[in-house]
Amino acid sequence: MALTIRVFLVLLLSTLTLSEHTSNWAVLVSTSRFWFNYRHLANVLSLYRTVKRLGIPDSQIILMLPDDMACNPRNAFPGTVYNNADRALDLYGDNIEVDYRGYEVTVENFIRLMTDRVGEDMPRSKRLLTDDRSNILVYMTGHGGNEFLKFQDAEEISAFDLADAFEQMWEKKRYHEMLFMIDTCQANTMYSKFYSPNILATGSSEIDQSSYSHHADNDVGVAVIDRYTYYNLEFLETQVRDPTSKVTMGDLFDSYDEEKMHSHPGIRYDLFHGGEQAARSKLIMDFFGNVQNVEVDGGVKRNETEWREELAAIERMIIEAKRRHNESLYTYPRRQEVAEEARVLDTKQPLRKERAPRVDEDTGWKKQIVGAAALLGCLGIWAAGSWLESL
Amino acid sequence: MPPAEGADVPPTPNSNPNIPPITKSAITAMRHPPPESKESLRLRRYVILSFWAVAIFIGLPIWWKTTAIYRAELPLQIMTDWADGKICRPVFPLRISVEAPTLQLQDAHNLIRATQHALDDLNEFSAHHLRLMLADAPLSAANASQQVVISGGPGDRSDDEDIALSIRLIPIETGTAPRSILQPYAPTLDVYYSPNQIPPPSSTGSPLATFIAHELHKIFAEEQTLLAHLLSTTSNVYTAKMKSLSSETVTELERQSTRTLKYAPTYHLTFSLFSPTFMPSSWEIEAALQQYLSPLLETFSSISNFTVDTQVQLYATFSPSIRQPEYDENLKAWTLRKEDLSGFINAAEWPLSPSIGVSPTVNFILYVPDQSQSPLLVKESGANSWLVPQWGGVLILNPAVTGQSPMTLTKDALTPAMHTFSEQLLSLLGLPQSPASLPLRLSTLKRVRAASLLFSASSTLGALARLTKALKSIPIPDNVAKSVDTAIAHLQQSCSDLRDGRFQGALENARIAETAAEKAFFEKSMVGQVYFPDEHKVAVYLPLLGPVAVPLIMAGMKELKSLRGR
Repeated sequence: MALTIRVFLVLLLSTLTLSEHTSNWAVLVSTSRFWFNYRHLANVLSLYRTVKRLGIPDSQIILMLPDDMACNPRNAFPGTVYNNADRALDLYGDNIEVDYRGYEVTVENFIRLMTDRVGEDMPRSKRLLTDDRSNILVYMTGHGGNEFLKFQDAEEISAFDLADAFEQMWEKKRYHEMLFMIDTCQANTMYSKFYSPNILATGSSEIDQSSYSHHADNDVGVAVIDRYTYYNLEFLETQVRDPTSKVTMGDLFDSYDEEKMHSHPGIRYDLFHGGEQAARSKLIMDFFGNVQNVEVDGGVKRNETEWREELAAIERMIIEAKRRHNESLYTYPRRQEVAEEARVLDTKQPLRKERAPRVDEDTGWKKQIVGAAALLGCLGIWAAGSWLESL
Repeated sequence: MPPAEGADVPPTPNSNPNIPPITKSAITAMRHPPPESKESLRLRRYVILSFWAVAIFIGLPIWWKTTAIYRAELPLQIMTDWADGKICRPVFPLRISVEAPTLQLQDAHNLIRATQHALDDLNEFSAHHLRLMLADAPLSAANASQQVVISGGPGDRSDDEDIALSIRLIPIETGTAPRSILQPYAPTLDVYYSPNQIPPPSSTGSPLATFIAHELHKIFAEEQTLLAHLLSTTSNVYTAKMKSLSSETVTELERQSTRTLKYAPTYHLTFSLFSPTFMPSSWEIEAALQQYLSPLLETFSSISNFTVDTQVQLYATFSPSIRQPEYDENLKAWTLRKEDLSGFINAAEWPLSPSIGVSPTVNFILYVPDQSQSPLLVKESGANSWLVPQWGGVLILNPAVTGQSPMTLTKDALTPAMHTFSEQLLSLLGLPQSPASLPLRLSTLKRVRAASLLFSASSTLGALARLTKALKSIPIPDNVAKSVDTAIAHLQQSCSDLRDGRFQGALENARIAETAAEKAFFEKSMVGQVYFPDEHKVAVYLPLLGPVAVPLIMAGMKELKSLRGR
C-alpha cells in the first residue's frame, strides 16, 4: 500500500515537473469586415494590448484583422481605434504588428496557420512556431451561429473543422496547453466539438443566445466593445496588474456575471488534464503572459583563465584537424576533387534556401506557348465564324 | 360549395351561356390520338435510354472523379510501428580502443577480456555498451572482442570517429598506480599502471581491469543517464534503468530538457546591446565573437551550423511592467528581484526576432544600465546574468569603474560577457556537464541528438498515420508518400548506423528523416477544410440536379409502367 502511494506520488511529481511550459503564444482573430463591426476589431485589439502588456512579444502574437477601422473614411477619429466611449486609450497606438490583414483573413489561412501547413515563402512572423512546451491563447470574435463562425461575411468555419485542426496540432505536439476564448453569438457551440486534450475553452453565450455589445460611442457612431470581452478585460486590467500576478483562471471564471453579460458564458473543463480543478488553478499568466522560469547564473562558474585555455586548445584542435584534412587531401589527390566538391556543395546548401524561389524558364516558355496557342485558337474561331456567316 | 346531391337545382347551362355545357355526348365524341407506331415507340425508348446512359456512364463517373479526394497510399502500418518503437530499438555500442605498445599481445588480450568482463558486470543499461578493442592490430582486436568492424573503406571520413575513446596504457615505475588522466581536448584516457599489475593469463579479474572498468563507467555515466531518460520518455522499454536514478537526477534531467533548445540543423544567434541612454553606442563585438565564440561554434559544426547577427539599440529600457530596481545598502548596488527577471525583457519594444531565414533564433542580450542605476544586480544571488530556457541569455554589464560609462565597449570589456554567453550557449545546446573532455562531451551530444531526432521523426510519422486514418476527408498528394518513403528509408539507415556505431552517419540520416517527416506532415495541400453539413450538400446539388433529374426519372417511370401494362 505504502509502495503504491509512493509510486503514485512519484508519478504525480513527474507530471508536475513535466507541466512546465517555456513559451506563450497568442492567436487573436477578428473575423468580420465593415464599419458597423467596429467592436470586433476593438475586442481583438484590446486583447492584443493586454497580452502584450503582460509580456508576450509581438513575434509570438498572431493578429488577424479583416478590416482596417482606423483608416475607415467613416471613422471620425482617423488612425485610432477605441474600446471605450471615454476614448482614453488608443488601441491602434504606434506599436502594433498585424500579421494577417484584410482579405488574408480567411478560414483556409486560419487553418493553415494553426496546422502550420504554409508555403516555404511564408515569413516566420506569420507562422505559429509552437512546440510541445508552448501554451497558446486562441481568441476569436465575430458573427457566429450554431457550430459555425462567419469569416468576412463570405465563408464560415465550422466547429468540426476547428476541432480537427486542434487535433492535428495535438498530434504534432504543437501545444502544451491551450485556452480557447470566443466571443460571438451561440459561442459555446463552437467548442462543443473539440476532442483533443489539454484545451480549456470558454465562450460568451449558449446555443440560441446572442452576445451583446457593451456600449456605443456616439461620436464614433457604433458600438465599441462586446460585453463578454469587456468584462474579461476589466478583470485582466484590474486584477492582473503585473507579470508576477498569481491570479488563477478560476478567479477569472468566477468573475463572469450573467446579469452584466446578458448571456450565459460557458466553460469547458473536461478536455483539460486534471479536469476542472487543475484548469481552475492554472494561472492567468500561463496563458496571457510570457512567464518563463529563468535560471540565474552564479555560484559554480569556471574561472576565466581556464576558459581562455580551453578556447586556445579548441583553436589548436581545429587547426590540427584542418592540417590533417589537408594532408589527407594531399596524399589522395584523386579524392581531393571529391572532397572539394562536397565542401563547395555544403557551403552552398544553406545559401540556396535564403534565395527567393527561381522561376523556371522552361515552364515559363511553355506557359507562353500555351497562351499564344489559345489566342490563335480564338482568332481562328472568330475567322471561321465570319466565314460561315458570309456563306 | 357544390350543391347538395339530389337538391332540386337545375343544371347550370343557363346561368353561364358562354361556356358550352359539357354533355356526355361531347365526351364520347373526343377522339383518342392514333396509336403510336412501333418505330416511334422504340425511338422514344432509345432516347430515354440514351439519356440515362449518358447520365450513368458519363455523368456519374465524372462527378465521382471530380469530387473524389485523392489519397496516396501510405505505409500506415510501418509508420505506426516506427512510432511505437517496434522497428528500431536504438542501441549505442561504443568502441574503445586500447593502446598498449609496451604490453605483450597475449597480456593485452587478457587485460582487455578481464576489463570487458568487469564492464559488462557494471553496466545495467543494455542499450549502451562499451566494447574494448586493441588498437594497431584491428584484425586480432576484432577477433578478441568477437565483433566485426564495419567501416566504409580505407580512409573513410567517419572511420576516425568510430572510436569513442582511446585508452593509453602507460607503465610507470613510481607513484600511485593505477591512476588515470582524461585528456581535456582529446578523446584519450591515459592509464598509468605498474608492470606487476598485469593480470596473469589464467586469472579472470585483476585490480587494473576493475580500475579501468570503473573509470570508463564513470566517464560514460552521464551519457547513460541522458540516453536512458530520453529512451524512457519516448518508449517504455528502459524504465528499469530510470528507476535506479534518484529523484533529484530525474528533476535535473527534466530541467535540462526544459532548458535545451529543440534540435535544428542551423541556429541563428542574435547578440544585442541595449542601453537606456545614448552610450555605449558601439562595441567591438566582431573581434570578440571572432576570438571567443567562433572556435566554439566550429567545434559544433558537425552537429549544427550557426549564423550570427548583432545589433545595438540605444534608449532601450527594460520592461516597464516590472518593479523598478531598489538600492541595496549591503550590496552597494541596485537590485532586481529574481521573480521579476522573467519580465525583464521588453518584448514589446526590443526588436528581438529578426525573422531571418528559417532557423530558430537564440538571443543573447547585453544590457548596460543607466549610470544612476549602476551597478545593477539580482537581489537574491548578486549575479548579473541569467538564462531563459529555450530562448537565450541575458547579462547586465556594469561598467568596471563607476562614473562615466564608455562610449565604446572594447573587446576586453566584453570578455566576461562572452564568457557567460558561451557557457549559456553550451547549456542551451544541451552539452552535458561531464566528462571533462570536450570531444567526449560533443560525441555524447551527437548520440543524444541522433536518438532524439530518430524519436521525433518516428513520432511525426505516427501522427501522420493516425491523422490519415482519423480524417478521411483530407487529401494526400503523392509527394507526401514520397517524403514518407524517404523518411522511413533514412530512419532505417540511421538505426543501422547507430547499431554499427557510426554516430555521425546516424545523426545525418536522422536529420534527413526528420526533415522529410516534417515535410510530409506539413504538406501545404493537406488542409482539412472539408466539413460540410448535409444541408449544404442538398443546397448545392438540388438546383443543379433537380431540373435534370425530374424529367429523366418521370420519363423512365412512365416507360416502365407502360412496359409492365403490356
